[in-house]
Amino acid sequence: MTTIENKKTFEIKNLDLFYGETQALKQIEIPIYEKEVTALIGPSGCGKSTFLRTLNRMNDLVESCKITGDVKYHNENIYAPQMDIIGLRTQVGMVFQKPNPFPMSIYENIAYGPKCQGMKNKQELNQIVEESLKKAALWDEVKNRLKESALSLSGGQQQRLCIARTIAMKPEVILMDEPTSALDPVATAKIEDLIVDLKKDYTIVIVTHNMQQAARISDKTAFFLMGEIIEFGDTNFIFSTPKHKQTENYITGRFG
Amino acid sequence: MSNRNVKEKTYLGMTYGAAFVSLAVLIMIIGYVFINGYKLLNFDLITHNYTAVTYISDLDEGFVLNNYETQRDFDEDTYYSTKWGLALTDDTDLQGKNVVVVTYVHPDSPLNNLHNKGVGQSIIELKIDYEIIRIAFDGAASALSSRGASLMITTLDDNDDIRELEFATTGGGIRGSIITTLYLIVLTLIFALPIGVGAAIYLNEYAKNNKFNRMLRNFIETLTGVPSIIYGLMGLAVFVPLTIGLTKATTGNIISGAMTLAVILLPVVIRTTEESLKVVPDDYRYASLALGASKTQTVFKVILPNAFSGILTATLLAIGRIIGESAALVFAIGTSIKDDVYLTDRSTSLAVHIWSMMTDEPANFELSSTIALIILMIVLVLNISIKLISKRFMRKYGVLT
Repeated sequence: MTTIENKKTFEIKNLDLFYGETQALKQIEIPIYEKEVTALIGPSGCGKSTFLRTLNRMNDLVESCKITGDVKYHNENIYAPQMDIIGLRTQVGMVFQKPNPFPMSIYENIAYGPKCQGMKNKQELNQIVEESLKKAALWDEVKNRLKESALSLSGGQQQRLCIARTIAMKPEVILMDEPTSALDPVATAKIEDLIVDLKKDYTIVIVTHNMQQAARISDKTAFFLMGEIIEFGDTNFIFSTPKHKQTENYITGRFG
Repeated sequence: MSNRNVKEKTYLGMTYGAAFVSLAVLIMIIGYVFINGYKLLNFDLITHNYTAVTYISDLDEGFVLNNYETQRDFDEDTYYSTKWGLALTDDTDLQGKNVVVVTYVHPDSPLNNLHNKGVGQSIIELKIDYEIIRIAFDGAASALSSRGASLMITTLDDNDDIRELEFATTGGGIRGSIITTLYLIVLTLIFALPIGVGAAIYLNEYAKNNKFNRMLRNFIETLTGVPSIIYGLMGLAVFVPLTIGLTKATTGNIISGAMTLAVILLPVVIRTTEESLKVVPDDYRYASLALGASKTQTVFKVILPNAFSGILTATLLAIGRIIGESAALVFAIGTSIKDDVYLTDRSTSLAVHIWSMMTDEPANFELSSTIALIILMIVLVLNISIKLISKRFMRKYGVLT
């Protein structure tokens, strides 16, 4: 068990989330460990994406959303009134389901985040752009066309650009919401390799519908059903000897 | 043929018919304007003053009549008096009236040195393109422009002295009105765009979906349907006194006109901009916020550049309205046609210029058509140039690949 020596980045306790009258998350309790990949699996509408978005407070954008309970990031409740949301989002980056680069040049896409934080030094920006693209395994493909529109890239490249854009903020955690669901198998494989690679430096939480993907790349897996976590633990155990019947049924494809 | 087939053919025929009718109507209008207007279309019309100055003059003492030979070749219908060194021809002026026009004055001709009988400078000279109205002689019948250039030259050759020469500088140009129109476009956009775009950003990005904001939206929509003449009255009641108070203006002026136009345009600009903000994908908003950008940074760095083409459409619509508006301007600026255009003075846009021409007795339909043609050309040029500029911008920004 590697969990003992690992530090907890997030500690979630008694989390309830409501969209208006509907309860989307019920009594979620789960730790997220440092420099590990945590996979969130479960059927559509089970609340895993909603949970992911509570971690960087993107749910704030939904007007009817109400949250109770504790979401502690380094022992600090991120839903406390004095929380610096912008600071949190620079620490906890996010990659979305559909590749969504800004319709700007490749360079400007990466430089956008640092520039928003007030960075103006050209050399520093150049360095960040290069570093981020290298970490996202995209540098060799785009180094000669940084001034071109990001929309001219392929879907897989766009998604890696989005990852690079997140890395440019030097975050600690990267949240990924089904990052490969819009991509072909080759692009998916590249992103998976990248995620395994990024694990060295970042804590990653990934929502996925792809069981093999969860099994291949994650260290911990949480199985969501109807807004509850049915089972959470080491990916190896969950996939080989699940404790709950529902988990087993879902993983083996008997429902969901 | 089955029943269904007949039905489909009917619907198809209806859409084809509708497209044909609308296209035909548009082509007919443009064609009609063109056929009526192209005859008077020339560069002088665009560059000349509207007001013609009429001078009444006589010759200074001690002039010499000579044999003013010239090497120039004149057209068939140009008549030259070697005795006076003056060539005249029959022509129509910029407004389409028959006149006798000076085509050449010999450098040594006595007509270069005329004594002004009216106000203004005392020594004046006859120049090319001036219109001769009347030449009066001692003891002979006057030569009138209505009887043609040929007779005027013959009469001149028969006489050794001129008692009185009445002539006019070229007038009827629309330079002043064109300048006014351009001033109005620029000023109105300066007033209307920032306010309209700002209001649209507020409504679409910041305003909560509550009763007040829904009412505000409905209100703006209602304003688009208000006849412009009512805005004109408002301009007369509010903006004219305002500009008189703030500037050295004493009457309705270009600034008050632009303000009135800006108010007319606001609802259009707000609605069009809002529509273009709505179609910017939420993905961009989420991505920007997730990168730790603030709401304001998201709006101004990501949303606005993406809504650019929509804002441009708003601008084009606005320009169209500015050029086409006449009713409101009659109140807000006035209808007096000016050659020297000042922002704080009354003046006339091209559309109102047409109105003035048509209220003349008799109505000058040909000139109106020509101005309409010029308006069409201005709109076309502005449209194309703005589209080109925006394409460049969007390429540079990366919206277009």
